[in-house]
Amino acid sequence: MGFVMDGLDAEEYDRSYSDRALIRRITNYFKPHRGRMLLILLMVVLQSAVQTLLPLAIANGINTLAAIPTLTQIGLLTGAVVLIGVLGWVFNYVRQYQSAVAVGDVVLALREDAFDAVMQRDMSFYDKYQSGKIVSRVTSDTQDFSNVVTLTINLASELLVVVAVLVVLFAINPTLALITMLVLPGFAIAALVFRKAARWATRRAQRMTAQLNATVREAISGIGVAKSFRQESAIYDDFMDVNKLTFRVKLQQGLVFGTIFPALDIVAAIGAGVVVYFGGLQVLGGAATAGTWYLFLRSLQMFYLPITSIASFWSQFQQGLAASERVFALIDAESNVIQTANEPVDHLHGAISFRRVDFAYTPDVPVLRDFSLEIPAGQKLAVVGHTGAGKSSLIKLITRFYEFQGGTILIDGRDLRRLDLSQYRPQIGLVPQSPFLFSGTVADNIRYGRPTASDAEVEAAARTIGGAWLDDLPEGLQTDVGERGARLSLGQRQLVALARVLLQNPCVFILDEATASIDPFTEAQIQDGLDVVMQGRTSIVIAHRLSTVRNADRIIVMQAGTIIEEGTHDTLLLQGGHYAELYTTYFRHQSIEYIEQVGAWSS
Amino acid sequence: MQQTLNQTSRRREFTVADEYQYDRRSPVRWIISHIMRYPLLPVIAIASNILSNASIAYGAVLIGQGFDLINQPGITSADLRSLALQVFIFFAGLGVFGVSGAFAYEFIAQLVERNTREELFISLLGKSQTFHNRQRVGDIMARATNDVQQLNIMINPGIGLIADALFSIIVPIIAIGLLNVQLLLVPILFLIVFFFALRSYAIQLGPISGQLREQFGVMNAGLAEAISGIEVVKAYGQEPSEQDRFLANARRYRDLFVVQGRVQARYLPVLLFGVALGLGFGHALLLFRAGVLTQGDVVAFMGLMFLLLFPTFISLFAFVLVQLGAASAERILSIINTETELDENAAGVSQPMRGELVFENVTFSYGDGSAAPVLRNISFRANAGETVAIVGQTGSGKSTLTRLVNRTYDATAGRVLIDGVDVRDWSLQALRSQISTIEQDIFLFSRTIGENIAFGVPDTTQAQIEQAARDAQADAFIRSFPDGYATMVGERGVTLSGGQRQRLAIARAFLTDPRILILDDSTSAIDSATEDEIQQAMQRILRGRTTLLITHRLSQIRWADRILVIQRGELVAQGTHDELMTSSADYRRIFARYE
Repeated sequence: MGFVMDGLDAEEYDRSYSDRALIRRITNYFKPHRGRMLLILLMVVLQSAVQTLLPLAIANGINTLAAIPTLTQIGLLTGAVVLIGVLGWVFNYVRQYQSAVAVGDVVLALREDAFDAVMQRDMSFYDKYQSGKIVSRVTSDTQDFSNVVTLTINLASELLVVVAVLVVLFAINPTLALITMLVLPGFAIAALVFRKAARWATRRAQRMTAQLNATVREAISGIGVAKSFRQESAIYDDFMDVNKLTFRVKLQQGLVFGTIFPALDIVAAIGAGVVVYFGGLQVLGGAATAGTWYLFLRSLQMFYLPITSIASFWSQFQQGLAASERVFALIDAESNVIQTANEPVDHLHGAISFRRVDFAYTPDVPVLRDFSLEIPAGQKLAVVGHTGAGKSSLIKLITRFYEFQGGTILIDGRDLRRLDLSQYRPQIGLVPQSPFLFSGTVADNIRYGRPTASDAEVEAAARTIGGAWLDDLPEGLQTDVGERGARLSLGQRQLVALARVLLQNPCVFILDEATASIDPFTEAQIQDGLDVVMQGRTSIVIAHRLSTVRNADRIIVMQAGTIIEEGTHDTLLLQGGHYAELYTTYFRHQSIEYIEQVGAWSS
Repeated sequence: MQQTLNQTSRRREFTVADEYQYDRRSPVRWIISHIMRYPLLPVIAIASNILSNASIAYGAVLIGQGFDLINQPGITSADLRSLALQVFIFFAGLGVFGVSGAFAYEFIAQLVERNTREELFISLLGKSQTFHNRQRVGDIMARATNDVQQLNIMINPGIGLIADALFSIIVPIIAIGLLNVQLLLVPILFLIVFFFALRSYAIQLGPISGQLREQFGVMNAGLAEAISGIEVVKAYGQEPSEQDRFLANARRYRDLFVVQGRVQARYLPVLLFGVALGLGFGHALLLFRAGVLTQGDVVAFMGLMFLLLFPTFISLFAFVLVQLGAASAERILSIINTETELDENAAGVSQPMRGELVFENVTFSYGDGSAAPVLRNISFRANAGETVAIVGQTGSGKSTLTRLVNRTYDATAGRVLIDGVDVRDWSLQALRSQISTIEQDIFLFSRTIGENIAFGVPDTTQAQIEQAARDAQADAFIRSFPDGYATMVGERGVTLSGGQRQRLAIARAFLTDPRILILDDSTSAIDSATEDEIQQAMQRILRGRTTLLITHRLSQIRWADRILVIQRGELVAQGTHDELMTSSADYRRIFARYE
């Protein structure tokens, strides 16, 4: 059933695929279901035929009433109308069921393709798009995509009925048919005018709702504060203003919507009056039978919905195309990280060399320029520098999450671009600032990289980094971490991530130290855990903790994508250069001297 | 505190003059009382439904009469013209009363949405602080936005459609009966079977649609998780197992989608209508043959039969909307009807506080006390003006402990004493007005910085605001904004960092000047200069008041008058820094790396 209201909130998208290209690709997805689609099409045709036959059969019955109908005639007519009803239902059943199967299968295939595509993208893709948007491309847009097809089938079936009925009408009585046709544009115009008004009202109402929600959010979040200062009436007044305004705007929208079907009804009423008059004249003049008159009156009712659904078809169709474009754009996007070979990777020692590497996220803004760095196997390297110095880019390149533009990166002397990533990456242990946990238990998460690890191995890894933290979890290893690890504190998530890395047993350990504060007990446990994990591994740490830089074998100070100083904590501090300045800016307040000094302020 | 004398006589902290009283005894009564606040509107709505259906039904009868008219001798085109005009008028009546009906339902729906939201908001403002401290903001938000909107949709189109469908059954049936009572046979039978078919359809479809929605949620959530954790997935090379998981979910969704498609395709009422139309037609022809009906009666009857098509399609959709709306009404009403458990104790002790705080064997557990205790047997003492630092892991019970002081919660066993008086014996107003809390997440209103500092302290001069800001080390950064103290905060204004928000809250505390301060300070300064400023602001605000300080800052812990070490709800050690360095191994460990 075509609803005039549908598709009103369609946005305009930047389209880079032509309609034809999109439709061709959509059709390709339906190709494996060719037989089924033909069956559906056949059902649509049969259904339309049956729908056209119904008023004809009744009209025929009306004509028999010129005389006294025989029982046989009555039986036949009754049978005919019942049969039409049953057949119409059967055809519709087959059509709808087969459509559900076809659409279900196509959406599944499309989701599979979209998911594969997402998994193959490099990390720059995830920087560009919010995860929520990617998810909706894979789940919702694929669903909307199928709308293009069902919409087209529905429209075709409705139009087919209109055409069939018109053909019959013209065959029976061309004059009356022409007069009847005059009403059709009336429906279309009413529907189009309405859509324009409705679109305007909808936009306003949507904006208003967004504003209302923001105000309600603030008002509710602020109740606690308002209450402690007894300022309830202040936020009440703010709230009431927006609530009243929203009422007015939404009412306007509702009233616009409320007029459409009545308006169409009035157009239909005009048609009915016209057909009653002219049809009656024809019957009177003997040019038409009573049955014909009836047929024309009934047909008018049948035009109503198809014509209004044409009005909404185009924008809904475009919406569907836009959705499929978003899906195809996702599937077609190229990964920027390109491996030139897939050489197997056995055990690595963990020596890393950057040789004259150039790297930029966007072409015009270089992050690393002609960057060279040799990290011998087993070294503990701390990287420091202001925000934007290029520290985290090092991590992103070593993990091969991003492509670099110039130079080479060597791992144990082998070109990083030639390695099989599925074997290489598990040898790099990464703990980001805010480690991600999957919903499940602590044990599930420690085991993530090695699903086959035994419970004993998991427990051993957790105990090796200092077991006290496990005792603080309500159910130890079996504690449910909640969605994205939300039931654990940041510090606890880091401890889980450290145990995960330990079980993975990588040859290179990479840590982006948290800047957020962690309670001192957990912090102490993390520091102990880090000592264990770094033992005997190449370690690269973007350091924010004073204790970390102090323990490092080597510190490099980065600025604008290059190394400007390097050495150990003590030697660099003595030099009084950039590192000394960074120390005063970022690390001074973590020192015991500072802690002692604060006591002097208070007295 | 204002008291209201309404039927429910609920204790409330905020009221509005001449507030309308709704019947809150049950969701259904509540919705009805909302609708009946404007009695004229439902009358117009129902009358419109009746008139529009009567109008179209009469139009169908008129057309039938036309068929009889045409068979009579001596009919002229003028007669036809007047018939056509009548048909137009009555058919157009469907549209005219359609508009008045649609407008009436629209007004009711929007008014109910507006009034419900207002009622909910007033009720929220009337709830105690205890209620708000315990409630999750997101939960209340959902009720104030989604659930309230669902009520609107329930009324229009939901109830509007059901009423219209109801009368588009009743009116044609009456019209058919008036035409000829015998004609009622088929449509009545149809309606009976139709009712059962619709019921069984709803019973079949309901669970499947629910499963389908649920499975969509599962698929979505699974994918969202994989994508949020993509760095981990890739780092551990787990792409294949993530793919297996997603595909299994997508397949399950597809299967449910097909099952739903089949149930929908099988929608029996359409088949029943088709059969009823044929049988009804046959019946009418038989009656014509018996001379009971005229040709025009047969045409009119068929026209009326077709009117029954509308309810055949629309009913289910509308019932679902009403069901959803009823569930929303229940959720909203449950919030409005929630009572605050704490007694205001207006007659309790009301005197200026000195700020001596004592916990005596305090045990606390949530709910009725049967759950595992969050705090166990805590005893400590803070003299007036002392700073007590509370250290412990996240989730060890630190925040809960501080919430027993201002009676957000009451101890399950043991006592909390201020100036030697049990907090439960203080007047709640006197107690809370002398205790301030600076939470970890500091909420600021979308107002100017100056207004936020002075919030709750009326008649504050600009000079006082600036002095408070200077004391809180906030003056410099406030002046760095182009509009200074007139700078807007929040969505339409500047975004402040955690450290800056904290200093605004401290400035606010300078103005309110509480005797007991509870400060949850878990932020961290990235750079040492900010740290200097926060340290200085804290030093000043702590001076001369009893302070419970939850902090990660070693410098604050180091210099507190007393330190409480909390582990899994128990107070495992307390004392000064020097005492703990000798007595507590856990405590020593914190400072181990600093020597």
